Amino acid sequence: MLHRPSAHESERRIWARLRFAALLATVAAFYAVCLHVSQVSVSRLAEGLPRLMNWIARGWPPDFSGLEELLLRAGETVAIATIGTTFGALIAAPLCILAARNVTPGMWMFHPARWLLNALRGVDGFIFALIFVAAVGLGPFAGVLGVMLHTAGSIAKLWSEAIEGAEPGPLEAAAMSGAGRAKVVLFALLPDVRPALSSITLYMWEFNVRASTVLGVVGAGGIGQELKNSVDLLAFDRVFAILIIILAMVTLIDAVSQALRRRLL
Amino acid sequence: MSDVLRAQRLSKRFGGAPALVNASLTLDRGDFAVILGPSGSGKTTLFRCLTRLTEPDSGEIYVAGEPLHGLRGAALKRARRRIGVVFQQFNLIKRRTALENALMGALGRTPPWRVALGRFSRADVEAAEAALAAVGLQDKMRQRADTLSGGEQQRVAIARALTQKSAVLIADEPVASLDPASAEQVLTLMTDLRNARGMTVLCTLHQPHLARAYASRLFVMRQGRLSEAPVGSMETAAEAPARSLSL
Repeated sequence: MLHRPSAHESERRIWARLRFAALLATVAAFYAVCLHVSQVSVSRLAEGLPRLMNWIARGWPPDFSGLEELLLRAGETVAIATIGTTFGALIAAPLCILAARNVTPGMWMFHPARWLLNALRGVDGFIFALIFVAAVGLGPFAGVLGVMLHTAGSIAKLWSEAIEGAEPGPLEAAAMSGAGRAKVVLFALLPDVRPALSSITLYMWEFNVRASTVLGVVGAGGIGQELKNSVDLLAFDRVFAILIIILAMVTLIDAVSQALRRRLL
Repeated sequence: MSDVLRAQRLSKRFGGAPALVNASLTLDRGDFAVILGPSGSGKTTLFRCLTRLTEPDSGEIYVAGEPLHGLRGAALKRARRRIGVVFQQFNLIKRRTALENALMGALGRTPPWRVALGRFSRADVEAAEAALAAVGLQDKMRQRADTLSGGEQQRVAIARALTQKSAVLIADEPVASLDPASAEQVLTLMTDLRNARGMTVLCTLHQPHLARAYASRLFVMRQGRLSEAPVGSMETAAEAPARSLSL
């Protein structure tokens, strides 16, 4: 190694500090622009707060009349998330193999697969649902399609990352038995990554139940539809009841999902 | 030609640095060849080039007279069935049983639908069971690989190679991750299999005393250059008294 003169060393330190200062200034400027663009206003919040308090006060006691209908709608949300996650996972299964560096058949498949899953993941299920409502009409089916496409991208991305993290050794051992890619994946890779893949899928299901509560706002079914109707009617006791149901539902699904995930590990 | 494994002038560079320089060797049936060399000398590179897990820059490889170099796709897969491998880190599928790991040796000759359903042929299951019995693990066939000790795992890896019914067994530092007693056990097992079945074994090691004890032929690797050294007065595996398995 060459011995560096100390003058050179201190010069480098000054440059490093300047770079850091420039970075701080850039971040600060970015925040300033964002605050301005998003119209953050403390005074408007202060004005709105009493109105909000008034609504909350009018929300008590919650109006659980027609509970059966509300529960049915909550069940619809769970159903949308469940079917959407399942179909999404089915689409993700071949995609994640193509998009995992260590098992992809080649870069000519890898890059298009990555683009596709990034596109699917980049568009929220809510936006997909908005489009599908226009295509297949109002109702939970549009929600299922929306959840499915977004989930396919998300699961494929997470699965391919889990696959890339798999130990290469057993895959090489399988390849040395003369097995091709399909057999290596089936026999040596899947048992290794199955717990991780299942855990990801359950997590996405849980996430989709939460995300699907808003699908009703665009007319894609579920409890969100009831929520929107009630907000539109300023029926705050009703809104309160629906929020309680959503919380209970999400808590229940989270608990089920977490219990299942714990058993996988 | 009677040679089981022949490598001619294998070379490999990593980013300009030569890792393997014109390595040549010819093994006959029944040879227990040891490649001795310090870590970083190129033993693993040679192992990976011989199995084509790493592509050599140049050189030729023949297994049982058939070329392995230059093969691709289905031909490469078929040719690889003739090479049984044992890795330093065992490379078992941790969440599968010892029997399933031994069955991995039959993966190459099993159609994908059978693999997908986990229905290996009766003959292959019997071969895997026999292989596990041959390495002394008949009582642990249903045990998950990650619950076995290091020595047991390496014996499962050897059973995997036996199920494969390969012409040659290539082992890369098979005992480097094992305690001394397990190391002796594994090398003794490999010697027994070579004696009993006329298997050809190529094994890299970094401990001279183990090389002395087990090699019938000795190669030395230094800075990517391979040369054969006379076993000479060395006590070879064939002459060595049977080693106790109950160390």
